[in-house]
Amino acid sequence: MEKLIQLAKSSCDKAEVYSYEYQDNLVSFENARLKDIDTKFQSGFSLRIIGEGKLGFAYTRNLINRKGIIKNALDSQKGGVEAAYDFPQTKGIPQLDTCDSSLEDLSTSRLVEECSRVCDILKSKTDAEIKMGCLARIENIRIINTQGNDNSMKSSKYFIYGNMIYPGSGLGIYRIHQSKSFDPVPDELTDEMVELYNLSSKVVEPKGGKMKVAFMPNSMVTFNWRFSSGASSKSVYEKISPISGKIGEKIFDEKISIYDDPLDDEFLGARAFDDEGVECKNLTLVEKGILKNFFYDLDYAKKLKAKSTGHGYRTELWGGDPVTLKPIPALFHLYIKPGDKSFSDLVKSMDRGIMVEAGLGFHSGNIPNGDFSIGACPGLYVEKGEIVGRVKDAMVAGNIYQVFKNVVDVGDTLYPSFWGGRWPVVLCEGVSVATKA
Amino acid sequence: MFDKLKKILSKLDADYGDIRYEIKNEVVISFNGKELTQISTNSTDGYVVRALKDGGFASSVFTKEDDAEKAVGKVVENSRLIAKNLEKPVKLTETEVVNDTFIPELKEDPREVSIPEKLELVRKYVGIPLSHEKIQTISLSYQEVVREKYFTSTQGTQLREDLITTSLSGEIVSRDGNLIQNIRVGTGGSSGFSIIRDQEKLLEKRTKIVLDLLKAKPVKGGAYNCILNPNMGGVFTHEAFGHFSEADLIEDLPAMREKMKIGEKLGSEVLNIVDNPTLPNQLGFYKYDDEGIKARPTQLMKDGVLTGRLHSRRTAFEFGEPLSGHCIAEDYSYAPIIRMGTIFIQPGEHSFDDLVNMLGDGLYILDAKGGATSGESFTFGAQYGYQVKGGKVKEMIRDINISGNLYQTLKNITAVGDDFVLSKVGGCGKGQVNIRSCFGGPHVLVKNLVIGGV
Repeated sequence: MEKLIQLAKSSCDKAEVYSYEYQDNLVSFENARLKDIDTKFQSGFSLRIIGEGKLGFAYTRNLINRKGIIKNALDSQKGGVEAAYDFPQTKGIPQLDTCDSSLEDLSTSRLVEECSRVCDILKSKTDAEIKMGCLARIENIRIINTQGNDNSMKSSKYFIYGNMIYPGSGLGIYRIHQSKSFDPVPDELTDEMVELYNLSSKVVEPKGGKMKVAFMPNSMVTFNWRFSSGASSKSVYEKISPISGKIGEKIFDEKISIYDDPLDDEFLGARAFDDEGVECKNLTLVEKGILKNFFYDLDYAKKLKAKSTGHGYRTELWGGDPVTLKPIPALFHLYIKPGDKSFSDLVKSMDRGIMVEAGLGFHSGNIPNGDFSIGACPGLYVEKGEIVGRVKDAMVAGNIYQVFKNVVDVGDTLYPSFWGGRWPVVLCEGVSVATKA
Repeated sequence: MFDKLKKILSKLDADYGDIRYEIKNEVVISFNGKELTQISTNSTDGYVVRALKDGGFASSVFTKEDDAEKAVGKVVENSRLIAKNLEKPVKLTETEVVNDTFIPELKEDPREVSIPEKLELVRKYVGIPLSHEKIQTISLSYQEVVREKYFTSTQGTQLREDLITTSLSGEIVSRDGNLIQNIRVGTGGSSGFSIIRDQEKLLEKRTKIVLDLLKAKPVKGGAYNCILNPNMGGVFTHEAFGHFSEADLIEDLPAMREKMKIGEKLGSEVLNIVDNPTLPNQLGFYKYDDEGIKARPTQLMKDGVLTGRLHSRRTAFEFGEPLSGHCIAEDYSYAPIIRMGTIFIQPGEHSFDDLVNMLGDGLYILDAKGGATSGESFTFGAQYGYQVKGGKVKEMIRDINISGNLYQTLKNITAVGDDFVLSKVGGCGKGQVNIRSCFGGPHVLVKNLVIGGV
């Protein structure tokens, strides 16, 4: 890497090399039996150069041909992508505790045993068809630049998911559990899955209309994608954010406070610096419904005459391979401040409504505008404070900037999401639900 | 290259093994509005090795040549671990040994078009919507992906195939006060660069639609009878039916597998569905899949009866059904999984006017945006639509999202049009992205679809 940056320096003003390497083992269970084990060893290097205010970008898997990657970056620079920003010069970024080395020695058979154990519990208490998977990953990130920055981090990631499928439907109750090291799935989580599954095994066909809708943590990705689009400096710059110019204004119900906390290394994926080597800090985005901040990477910060908030990540909507992607403003550590209502309190407070376990089609519709129209997948139907079954083919629709102005309550527990961030149950009222009945 | 791959395979202590090496060359030119945001040419490479040992089947992926030995050791270890936990051993359907090189003929090789020429072409297209006052922005990307694939197996198959995909895709955003609307724009395929040229009319047409959407009314939620245009019908076929024709998705769901038995009547009698990756010049075209199996057309549904399924070697054996050549990987970062190639409803006899008359009152909805399926439920959005009243297409509507149930909806397709259009831009995400996922068909009439509205 050092050689590459030295070589790059001779042909441009500024350069940055990003390297990413990981090894992982993924164990998959289908119908409660071991199906696949995939092992990956992946690595790569990404080069950004800036000369005369123009950006060159190139990447490779192996540093066998350093001159080749520099040539690709110089060719790219000729295209004329504007880059008025500088790479950061940061010193003394605190190290976070992101790696538990015990995960490196964890055997694949241990992952298999844990999945078997959890499958057995879920199967013994329900008639569900069980899908499950378990991943153990060690990853290394290093970023060096011509300003003298040299940031590196090692992370360990342990992740297990389970889906209890109603036979014949392919749909089910889905939960994840994650940690920096091997950590057995707690009984409370399996108990919760079993209870929800059994309560919702009967299909009901209620009438549609305006009603209370509880967005369960898995379905909050619907909110996350739309809010992240609106609060992104990229959307502000492109003038497609409906909340542009609304700092200090109330955009949600006062029960909604949204923070981004990359530094909390109790949780998976904590970051001391972003993918541009900018120091990460906690950021308040919304407090008691009032918009406080947008989030920036280096590029859009410069364009909007602001400072990077340390949110430059090499990602795209569905994730993607960081080596092949340029940084964009992105949020990975969001959470909504929990309220004080337990799950059973929330259910009891619903006269009639739907709890959206997951939102099918959360990625479609007019996302910049905040619109959504999701299939409840499944939707747990509540009547007189009790879950009475599940609804098929129900669609829940609205606009986050309207629906989340009418929040009844926020649940007291945060759940990690497969799509990033941690989310409580959020109960809203007067939400439009379409059904066949 | 094959000597190197065979050397790696020779160290594999397995009953069967294969290895795929790929060089992936990519060109990306992206604009956000007038601003060029990326222009790059890159080449990356990597390996995928698979092993069947004692009835356990596993894969390992690596990018550094130095990791080959580690990866080979790991894949055998994983296969053994799977074998110990299996009820019955995995078997692969036997196949002929093939030795072939297939480099597709192109109408214009994109590698021979200079980067400045490509850049100016995309810049010209970007300027078309931006000349309108109410167009807020356009994001438009040109992407060229050349996969140079080398595949060899311990059974002696040796294949070399290139997959060359060009695409122009993006989104045009219009704005009137606080109202923001968007529409997708895209073209591309497997036939070379010529399909990227002369697309001014496409840009003009999509610009007009997104400007009209500013005046369109939001659709009211409820159940409607609908005509789906070929793109919308194609996404429906892909999402609502196609994924359940992929054997790996139902293999381990006993109740679903029972419902999806060959010979079951699942659709209305007007419904005939095929997946055919061998249609030349179409986006979904390929000759061999990533297990070295020759692609072949598969009749999935005939007169509403399930007649076939898409398979890998493993699932073909498990189901006792013929190989179809549908086991495809995104690139060298992934082991292959079962994917659709080019899926479509076969055309029927009704003209568009017939369908509108048959519909009477309802909706005409066009061009999918986003689609997802989870078990028997599916949902996808339409980019725009029209109300149909008394057999006449009337005013434009927006904010259309459909939700439905696989089994009910297949029975609710009551008429099939006589036209036929296939998609030009793909991007199905089933754990991996398949940029060549192709779908389409004719206009179709569907009863009783749930529309979410806003």
